[in-house]
Amino acid sequence: MKRFDARITSLKAISDDYYELRFAWPAALRRPEPGAFMTVRAGGAYDPVLRRPFAFSDFRGADPDAADPGSNRSAGDGGGAEAAFIFQRRGRGTAYLAGLRAGEPLDVLGPLGKGFTPPPRGSRPVLLAGGIGLGPMLYLAARLADEASAGGFEAPILALGFRTKDYIPRVGLPPGAVVCTDDGSAGFAGSAVDWLWGFDPGAPPALYACGPAAMMAAAELYAAARGAPYQAATEQWMACGVGACAGCAVRLKDGSFRRACADGPVFDGRLVDWGA
Amino acid sequence: MTDLRVRIGELAMPNPVGAASGAFGYGEEYDGLTDLSRLGAIYTKAVTPEPRAGNPVPRLADTPAGMLNSIGLANPGLEAFVRDKLPGLRGRACAVIVNVAGAAEDDYLRVVERLEAEEGVGGYEINVSCPNVAHGGLAFGTDAAVLARLTRRLADAARDGARARAAAGRPDAARRPLIVKLSPNVTDITELARAAEGAGADALSCINTLVGMVIDVKKKSQVLAMGSGGLSGPAIRPVGVAAVYRVSRAVKIPVIGLGGISAADDALQYLLAGARAVQLGTAIFARPEAPAEVLDGIAAFMAREGLSKVEEIAGLLR
Repeated sequence: MKRFDARITSLKAISDDYYELRFAWPAALRRPEPGAFMTVRAGGAYDPVLRRPFAFSDFRGADPDAADPGSNRSAGDGGGAEAAFIFQRRGRGTAYLAGLRAGEPLDVLGPLGKGFTPPPRGSRPVLLAGGIGLGPMLYLAARLADEASAGGFEAPILALGFRTKDYIPRVGLPPGAVVCTDDGSAGFAGSAVDWLWGFDPGAPPALYACGPAAMMAAAELYAAARGAPYQAATEQWMACGVGACAGCAVRLKDGSFRRACADGPVFDGRLVDWGA
Repeated sequence: MTDLRVRIGELAMPNPVGAASGAFGYGEEYDGLTDLSRLGAIYTKAVTPEPRAGNPVPRLADTPAGMLNSIGLANPGLEAFVRDKLPGLRGRACAVIVNVAGAAEDDYLRVVERLEAEEGVGGYEINVSCPNVAHGGLAFGTDAAVLARLTRRLADAARDGARARAAAGRPDAARRPLIVKLSPNVTDITELARAAEGAGADALSCINTLVGMVIDVKKKSQVLAMGSGGLSGPAIRPVGVAAVYRVSRAVKIPVIGLGGISAADDALQYLLAGARAVQLGTAIFARPEAPAEVLDGIAAFMAREGLSKVEEIAGLLR
């Protein structure tokens, strides 16, 4: 992890409310794992104080860890790598971000947190996204598609749920992605979990999800019924992002707390108290 | 020649800029993000005798130029602190000040007595001003008689501990300063400051967070699970500077200023108001390098003004 001033390479609205921000990734930093996140400043020197956490939604470029050991790249030379996150304009922080432009700097701290682990051999990874939870699922879907044959698991299936068709991103969905809307205005009428109950994965499913608590709880019921492993990416307000302040606590069913930033943000979804 | 060292009681800090309790964990969390060797002191996350899970979530809220927290003194407890956290703190170049909290007088005493035998503890910051726990915390910081009694018992324990270390021939026999962290949530902060000084406190930290609340209008509910929490960040800086100005004129012991310091000029306001040292908390969340930048700014100010010691800054206020 490192804090750095990144250069924004593109910022575009991808639906009525969602934005994708892409930025140059320092060559000296490792490739982020799916499920990992960053925090960014979203304002001036004094306000807002709290950095905003976002999961990586994409990463393109060489993995420095896998770089030719004879190469002589140093920090700051760019290396052409690019990372991205998707955000929803909700409050003053995200309104500020939505007003940024390509070429402007962005204060990024990352990569942070523990991401997803690969699915068991022979399983079918099933990825569920609810609303703005689509960011980490897009990145995970891309990586699992690349790694399926080497990892001995089936190609991933991605199902994305939205309130209405207005939120469906206009770009960037992988081939075969299933779109669901709560109001039936596009795709499958119902939630991504509703869709999953009627889907035959063809192999033991391995569940991955990110979305609102109700969806996460519904996914847990599916995982329990199918005996499927369930990796859940959580969302919480954060202050430090590095495990120091205990502000971003996630409550588990046994009443204990874990830090979303340092112990997660990905947890065994069967252990989390979704408040349902 | 600029000498950045400051003394708090018998403890020498390499410079006046510390990382405030609760914002910096136990230091290790920030290794690699910021140069810890440039800190004057680390004030640890609060240590209580028993582990504390902390408050229900959400524990954080965004506010104008600030934030609310309601962590609830989440910490692994005294024994786990000694076993797992203190070893990593011992090798640090900066002073290690353990923030001590509890629900009863005996809780505070247990923590201090236990740590007196341990190496690597530079001093204690007594948290009598946490607004986020039901018992203890703030209750000790709002009643002068209660605060004086607690402070006297802890000062006695620190004196006894120093004697025991001296008798054992240990090199760390200096008395470890007792720093009482004052709450701004009182009518007259100088009354509490004088009570702590009279009972044997070696220094005062000024100020802890202000009680605040945020209501989500759309949901018609409080944002924090506990309802209210502690307000910190740039928004409270003028409150802290005014408190330090008043407190430093009411007592003879050193005052350590904190509350909303993000940049060198913020810290210099506190030092001009009468503080001998400062702490950064919330600013570290936004910018982990902030303490080192503040230190550089203080050193540059001293060089410009021709000052050789940090304490001389307070004398410049017209």
